[in-house]
Amino acid sequence: MPPILRLIVQRISLALVVLIGVSMLIFAIARVIPGDPARIALGPNATVEQVEILRETLHLNDPIYVQYGYFVRDISQGDLGVSLYTNRPVTIDIAQFLPATLELVIVAGIMMICIGLPLGMISARYKGQFIDNLLRVVSLLGVSAPSFVWAVILMLLFAYFLPIFPVAGRIEDIYVIKAVTGFLLIDTLIDGNIDAFFNASWHIFLPAFALALSGIGQAARLTRANMIETYNKPYIEMMRAYGVSQFRIASRYAFKPSLIPSLTIIGLDFAAMLGNAFLVEAVFAWPGLSRYGVAVILRKDLNAIVGTVLVISLTFVLVNIIVDLLIAFLNPRIRYSQRPK
Amino acid sequence: MSDSILDIQNLSLSFQGLTETVDVLDNINLSINRGERVALVGASGSGKSVIARIILGLLQSQKGAIVKGSVRFRGIELEAATGNQIESLRGREISMIFQDPTSSMNPVYKIGTIFHEILNRGTHNISKKLALIKASKLLEEVSITEFKRVLESYPFQLSGGMNQRVMIALALANKPALLIADEPGTALDVTVQAQTLKLMHNLVKKNNTAVLFISHNLGVVRQFADRVYVIYKGRIVESGSTSSIFENTKHPYTKALMNAVPKITSKSFFDASDDSSLFKQPAFHHKDREIGQ
Repeated sequence: MPPILRLIVQRISLALVVLIGVSMLIFAIARVIPGDPARIALGPNATVEQVEILRETLHLNDPIYVQYGYFVRDISQGDLGVSLYTNRPVTIDIAQFLPATLELVIVAGIMMICIGLPLGMISARYKGQFIDNLLRVVSLLGVSAPSFVWAVILMLLFAYFLPIFPVAGRIEDIYVIKAVTGFLLIDTLIDGNIDAFFNASWHIFLPAFALALSGIGQAARLTRANMIETYNKPYIEMMRAYGVSQFRIASRYAFKPSLIPSLTIIGLDFAAMLGNAFLVEAVFAWPGLSRYGVAVILRKDLNAIVGTVLVISLTFVLVNIIVDLLIAFLNPRIRYSQRPK
Repeated sequence: MSDSILDIQNLSLSFQGLTETVDVLDNINLSINRGERVALVGASGSGKSVIARIILGLLQSQKGAIVKGSVRFRGIELEAATGNQIESLRGREISMIFQDPTSSMNPVYKIGTIFHEILNRGTHNISKKLALIKASKLLEEVSITEFKRVLESYPFQLSGGMNQRVMIALALANKPALLIADEPGTALDVTVQAQTLKLMHNLVKKNNTAVLFISHNLGVVRQFADRVYVIYKGRIVESGSTSSIFENTKHPYTKALMNAVPKITSKSFFDASDDSSLFKQPAFHHKDREIGQ
């Protein structure tokens, strides 16, 4: 088996173990929190008999391992149960809310890479000079305030005082877009509706930027530190001694080795944004999965909690696999150290 | 002199610290003629390597470095103080071999890619295919027969000796007029070092490349160099042809250096005086016939 394929198989089997662990944990925790889900779902006016019937249909009177057995049986058929909060299958709820969050997080991730990495490179190149100090202050600001603070500040500045960007939502109501992927930026393009595409981009810019800011600062600081370390390596002096241009060294020969450690953190940041997205989604009234997740937790909606957490874990794990593969792609020492068992 | 490749006059270097200035080089005069192999010998920290880095203009951008004096390459003033004129010559007319070949090559690029980049300095916009063909020939010259595998490898996949050969091939790729070898192969074991030095010796002789050979290993210097400069604490203390330096040693520091070379036949450690006050004696320059005249 080629080394890269072995790496993929290895990472995916590890991911499965993680997901099974997470499912058990969240399954147990959701049931340990005080409060009767059936009572909360039916409200204070329901009779004891009605609550008992709902408890029976939800298998809540069985021991927890039997309940988990039912859960595994259902999930193997692609069924996450029915949400007590929306009265719809959890899978349908997730399919509706997940794309909005993913779109937000992916755009924020792209911002993090496209802004954070170059800032770090420029800082390292002009180390100790004015531009470096300026960029370091900026990135420190990004890291030190949580994203919902940025969300409020950005909204005040660029949607209220200077009304450049819209305050809330994913797109203006006048546009009717057929949902194909659920990602508005893609669906509008599939529709060929350029106006709607720009409108959706306009809406996503501020929330994504607020979400990305701490990641941008993190990525810039890390890239700066790694680049400075790499610049002191003999192989960079060798390239300079052979007259390879500063730009080529910065963009290629020093960049690639420096990118490897940055990428691990960027991957983690990216996955962490899934959780952070909630507050930003709340500020910008973004109809995403994080908002849904909090709503169902408050309602003790067991099926929806487990479903939401599992989907977020799955995304987390997938992002980590992708980062691992990217690092293996960038770093031949990792690629070639996968020994056959 | 028209035959002069490199001519260093009154070169001095100091570092401006926070409170004081540290003098590293003091009034260095050094010249190398076409095809001549010149060794610069001295202890660690004596200033050997900074001379190489000043010639290449790698040191001038460093914070606090103050360079004075003149460096002329083929009679052209290189403006040593800034190092700006040197950039266009790097990798084309002047190239360099580093101490540790393995860590001197980028670990995330294949040898073939590194060759492509360096050959691009000599022939602008050279295609990858042509670069690899040229690289194969260059590797054959340093006795690497399995050049295909080497070009497809990353530096960490090859042995130190193999990397040193690659380094030599890279250094000579664009047929430079001057090769600076900064303690080549010090990181390698002695047998591999001897093999690669012999290879380098034969190649520079064949190409008529001038060499500035920086070393602390007198045994190697004696075999390799035509002329020797001995440097002590940033000053040249003795210079002359290899034979006069070794057979008619004048300066106390040079004598101490020679005594410090361990002899296989000797059981005890060398008996060298620690009296460094002797080393401050004025420099001695042997009046030899210039090599190649």
